[in-house]
Amino acid sequence: MPTTYPKCSPTEMQGLLVLLNAHKGSEDVARLADDLDLEIDEILPSLDFASALGLVRVSEGNASFSDLGKRYISSTIRDRKAILRDQLKKTTLFRTLLRALESAPDHRLTDEQLAQLFSLTPAPADASVQNIVNWGRYAELIRYDAEEHVLVAVRHAPPAAKPPAGNRPPPPSTPQGPGAGPAAARKSPPASPPAEQSAASAAA
Amino acid sequence: MALIRIEHVDKSFAARHGSISIMQDISFDVADSDFLAIVGPSGCGKSTLLRLIQGLDKPTGGQIFFRDSPVTSVCTKMAMVFQSFALFPWLTVSQNVAFGLEALGWPPDRIRSQVDRYISVTGLDGFQEAFPRELSGGMRQRVGLARALAVEPSVLLMDEPFSALDPLTAESLREEILQLWRDPELPPDAVLLVSHNIEEAIQLADRIIVLSRRPSHVLADVHVDLPRPRDRKSQAFYDLTDRVYSLITEGGSAPTAPPAANGAAAPQKAL
Repeated sequence: MPTTYPKCSPTEMQGLLVLLNAHKGSEDVARLADDLDLEIDEILPSLDFASALGLVRVSEGNASFSDLGKRYISSTIRDRKAILRDQLKKTTLFRTLLRALESAPDHRLTDEQLAQLFSLTPAPADASVQNIVNWGRYAELIRYDAEEHVLVAVRHAPPAAKPPAGNRPPPPSTPQGPGAGPAAARKSPPASPPAEQSAASAAA
Repeated sequence: MALIRIEHVDKSFAARHGSISIMQDISFDVADSDFLAIVGPSGCGKSTLLRLIQGLDKPTGGQIFFRDSPVTSVCTKMAMVFQSFALFPWLTVSQNVAFGLEALGWPPDRIRSQVDRYISVTGLDGFQEAFPRELSGGMRQRVGLARALAVEPSVLLMDEPFSALDPLTAESLREEILQLWRDPELPPDAVLLVSHNIEEAIQLADRIIVLSRRPSHVLADVHVDLPRPRDRKSQAFYDLTDRVYSLITEGGSAPTAPPAANGAAAPQKAL
């Protein structure tokens, strides 16, 4: 299944949308690049990811806003973040990542485990890991401990004092059947899988 | 009533042989909701002028008024955003944003809610506990911005705030600054931007004060009436860029010297 990895930061991608907006929402990609005195390949990462998030459509060398892209650019900084969060959750990348965090012990993953999950080279050799972490943090889908290089699911914020793994206190008494126990944490994400993202621009 | 009045300001620095005059007889007003850019060749004292306006430095002659009161010490109704971000590397994002409020003696609980608010409006949620080294340039400048806005300044002073950023990130943050400035619920009322980038000034500002080479004086006060978002490739934008560029290159203080190379006035490509 093709997965689009971000090769830009959220702020860079937004820069592309701002630029497109100054061109009335539709423009030749080469002209967009030229406007900032950039080469096309310098704006492609942003264009690719904006298109993977469903904010921009690219066709025959022309980029234009989707309806969601129009909504994004006319929203406040806070509302834009919410749009990114919703869209990221629909990508194969973040669906996979969030499901992995859901099932991981303590809902924590290290940088290395993240890299393994997507067969990436661990950072800093490959910026992909840092980019994924950066997007996840920006959209508040994950928290990140930079000292320990650990990703933590936001919904499962662990208590301040983290008990060592393997010595966890028993789960709070929940009226669940015999299935309850450490393995019960491995339940599938509660949210029904969102509509499959048309990841048009695959990693190519 | 003007928000800021700059009246006949001179500034010179003591040098080994007498003194060097940086600016002479600078006068202009800043209105309440102005987005004003100050442009001029490098070394013309643009940054010095910002420092004088905030009261970080004193003019040699003339006076600066903020809401009709002379600026005699650091004005707490103004806050500065720097090109270099100027963050404390040993403090987290939240602590950096809180820094100015602590210096103003705010009580801790008010500091906490104020920090939360400005972290949120600048898009820094999720990075509260991060240290500056973990952040990209764009996110660092957001911290600089949140720290400046947290003191709820009437005037936001920005000294080349985008010139250390890559072009797309800069484009992104320019638009966010406009958004914050236009939001009546949020500070600041007025923005003073120092830039060596003429296109950036025209893209953002309603008014551009064009300074000459050293010792600088005001060459022109140019009003920018183009609708936003501004299309850099439009004829009107091009004409204005051309006009400001000509003012700077032709209006120097030393007519015999060649025009100062203005690094960032990115030469326009043929349309």
